[in-house]
Amino acid sequence: MQEQPQNRGPLAGYRVLDFGWVLAGAIPGMVLADMGAEVIKVETRQRLDYMRQGRPIIGTERDPEQHPMFHNVNRGKLSVTLNTNHQEAVELAKRLAAHCDVVLENFSPGVMDRLGLGYQDLKAIKEDIVMVSISSHGQTGPLRDLRAYAPSIGAMAGLDSTLGYEGERPLGLKHAYADISGALHAVFATVSALHQRRRTGRGQYVDLSMLRATVATMGAGLMEYEATGRVLGPMGNYDPTMAPYGNYPCQGEDRWVSIAVANDEEWRGLAQAMGSPNWTTEDRFASRYQRQRYRQELDDELSEWTSQRDAWEITELLQSHGVAAIPVMDAEERLHDRHNQERGLYHEIEHPSLGVEPIFNLMWHLEKTPPAIRGHAPTLGQHNQRVFGGLLGLAEDEIKRLEDAQVLW
Amino acid sequence: MTYDLLADVRVLEIGNGISAPYCGKLLADMGARVTKIEPPATGDSSRGYGPFLNDNPHQERSGLFLYINSNKKGLTLDLATPTGKGILEDLVVRSDAVVHNLHPREMDRVGLTYEALGLINPGLVMASITPFGLTGPYKYYKAYDINLAAAGGICQGLGSAGRPPLTFGTAQVGYFAGMAAASSVLMALLARDTSGTDGQHIDISEVETMSGVYNGPEALMAVYEWRVTRRTGHHSMDFPYPNCILRCKDGYIFAGSPEGRQWRKLLELMGNPEWSKDPRFTNRTVMNNDYADEIDGYMEEWLLRHTKAELLELAMEHRIPLGPVRGFDEVRNDPSLEGWFEEIEREHTGPMSFPGPPYTLADATAYSASPAPHLGQHNEEIYTGELGFTREQLVALYQTGII
Repeated sequence: MQEQPQNRGPLAGYRVLDFGWVLAGAIPGMVLADMGAEVIKVETRQRLDYMRQGRPIIGTERDPEQHPMFHNVNRGKLSVTLNTNHQEAVELAKRLAAHCDVVLENFSPGVMDRLGLGYQDLKAIKEDIVMVSISSHGQTGPLRDLRAYAPSIGAMAGLDSTLGYEGERPLGLKHAYADISGALHAVFATVSALHQRRRTGRGQYVDLSMLRATVATMGAGLMEYEATGRVLGPMGNYDPTMAPYGNYPCQGEDRWVSIAVANDEEWRGLAQAMGSPNWTTEDRFASRYQRQRYRQELDDELSEWTSQRDAWEITELLQSHGVAAIPVMDAEERLHDRHNQERGLYHEIEHPSLGVEPIFNLMWHLEKTPPAIRGHAPTLGQHNQRVFGGLLGLAEDEIKRLEDAQVLW
Repeated sequence: MTYDLLADVRVLEIGNGISAPYCGKLLADMGARVTKIEPPATGDSSRGYGPFLNDNPHQERSGLFLYINSNKKGLTLDLATPTGKGILEDLVVRSDAVVHNLHPREMDRVGLTYEALGLINPGLVMASITPFGLTGPYKYYKAYDINLAAAGGICQGLGSAGRPPLTFGTAQVGYFAGMAAASSVLMALLARDTSGTDGQHIDISEVETMSGVYNGPEALMAVYEWRVTRRTGHHSMDFPYPNCILRCKDGYIFAGSPEGRQWRKLLELMGNPEWSKDPRFTNRTVMNNDYADEIDGYMEEWLLRHTKAELLELAMEHRIPLGPVRGFDEVRNDPSLEGWFEEIEREHTGPMSFPGPPYTLADATAYSASPAPHLGQHNEEIYTGELGFTREQLVALYQTGII
C-alpha cells in the first residue's frame, strides 16, 4: 500500500466544526479532512455516536474505540467532547464556531435551533459562516419529523422499487445509498458556498434533504413515469439499450462475471472471443434489436460458455476483444486486487486500539493537491486539550474543571 | 431551480451518458456557466436512451437527457478533427474547468491531454472521469454500469443465494462519479484562487466511487468478520431484526427499528403478540440471522392489514423508521415534494417536470431553470458571437461536419 503523499490538500487553511454523526453526518467532514481542512468533531458521552457502538472486536466489554465503520469515516478528524445539556458547553461550541469556516450537522430538524446553535445564532457570532444541515426530509415540510435512516429513505425515494429479479418482490439495497448520496451532495453544496464566500464575503445556509438527494439520482426510472406514465418494477439485470447485460456464472464457488454489450462492434468482439460458436450467428441474435428481444435465450447461451471458465480468464479475454467484462468482486477481492493496490484504494493506518487497519482512500485524485488520510480516527475527546487549550486558550485547570463537571463529556 | 453561487465559474463539458453530464448539471444548477460539447449529428448517447415522451422516440425527447442537461448551453464539435481541436482550444482559453468522460482510448485517439490544454490555459482545472482511472492495469478496460457495480462491490450482496447477483435497478454509478468530479473541480479552483497557483488535472475513476467512498469500509468489516454482505434475498445479515422490506396491504414497506425503543413500540402497535415472547427471540441480531423468514410471517400478518399510508402515519406518530416502498408515481406525487419538481417548458416536448437541486439555500438568489439544449442550439451564439467566426465560416463548419 502506498505512502500517503505529504501535501496540505486543496482545503488547507479551512476549519470545520463537525456535529455530524452516524454515517451521513460523518462523511462530509471526512471528505473535507482528507482534502486538508481541520475538522473538529464534536461528540458526547451523553449520547454516543452510533458508529462508536456495537460489539467489540477485542474482548467482551463495550468500547467506543473499536467500530470499523467509525475508523473509516472519521479518520483525520480531531475529537472534542461537549455535553450540550450544560449551557457552558453550548457557549464553548459558539466560541469554537467563531474560529470556523463551516459548521456541519445532521441532528433531527430543530435541535440546533433549540440549543441556540442555529444558523442565525452562528451568523451573529461569525457573519460569513457556512452552515450545512443534513436531514432525511429537509428542515421544513410535512415529513421533517419522520424518523428515517438510509434504507427507509431509499424505499421512499423509489430506489428499491426497481431492485429485484424480474417480476418478483423488491429486495432493497444493502448499502446506505441515501446516506452517501446525501453526504456527497452536501459536500458539493459546501464547497459551492465556500466559492461564493470567497467572491462575495457572504456566508450561507444549506438545508439538504437526503430524500431529495436520492430522488435526484433516480434519472431514467423517474423519467419513465414522467415521460410515459409507466411505473417500473424489479427488472433483474436489465438495460434497454444493451444485451447481453448481466452477471454470468463462472467456474468456482459463487463466482460470476459481469458482461455488457452496447453495440454491434462489441457483439462481434464477444463472438470472436468465444471462438465464434454457431449460436452467435443465428438470426435471433443478428442485431441489437434481436438480441434485446431474445435476451433470455442469449443469457442462457452465454452462461453455458462462461460457466466452464474462470472469471478473470473471461475478463482478460473479453477485454482484449473490446468487450466490457469484470468479475463480481467481494470486499476481500477488492482489497487485494492488483489494480486497486497499484492505485492505492486502501491505506494502512495504525489505530491505537486495534493496530494496523486497511482504511479506504477517497480516490478523488487531484494531482497537485491529492486527498490524504491525515491520521487515524480520533479517540473520544482525544483533542480536548489541543482544541480548548490551543484554539480557545483555556487553562489546563479550567479544562480539568469542565471535564469534572461533565461539560467536556 | 438554479442558484447563483458559482456565477463566475465557466465550465466546458465533454460529456456523454451520466457521469460528466451529472457533474455539469450540479455545477450549472449552482450557477456556473456550463457549455456542453456534443458530437455532431448523433449528440450525447443519452439522447437515444429515453424514456421518450409518449413513447415517441426522438433525440430531443429523451427524458434522461432532458433531465441531466438542463441549465446548460449546447455546442456540437468534432474533436477528432484538427479544426475541431483548434476550436476546442479557443473554448478552453475562456474556461475555468473542463470535465469529460472520454474513455482513455478515446482520449488517446482524440489527443486530449491535460498537458496540452494546461499550456494554453495554465489556470485550467480538468476532470477526467473514466471507468477505472488514468493509471493501473485496468486503465483501458471498458465498463458499463453493471460492470462498475460488479467491480465496485454492489452486486456481490444483492439477490438470492444460488441466483445471479443483481445490480441497481437503473444506472447509478455515473451520478456518484459526477458528484466526485463536481466537488473536486470546485476544490481545485478554490486552491487555485486562494494560493494563486496553477490549475491541475483530476483523475476520477467511476469504479472507485463505489469501491471507495460508497463501500470502502466493507474491507475492514471483512477483516474483522464484523459484517459480511451476502446474497440473502430481502434480508441483510448482522443487523437487528427488522431491517427488511415486507409485504403490506397495498404493496411493500421497509421496516426498521435500529433502536430498542422503536422495536418495543412496534411490538406494542402489533398488540404485543405471543410470538414476540418466544425465548428464541431475545437477541434481535440472532432473530435476523436465524429466524427472519419465520418472523416475517408474523410481521406480515399484521402489516397486511395496513396500507402504506397508514403505516407512514404510525411511523410519524410513534417515531419508528417505516418507509413505504414507493414507485416513481408515488415519488412524483408526494405532497412533501410539491414545488421541488420544476416544470420546464421546451420545444418538442412542452412542459415536463424534473427534480430540482436536493438542497435549499438561505442566502442565495434563485432563478428558474432553463431547458436542456437542442443539439447545437448555441452554435451560432458562441461560435459567431463569442469566438468571432463569420456566418460563412459557421456554415462551412457545419457543411464539413466539424460542428
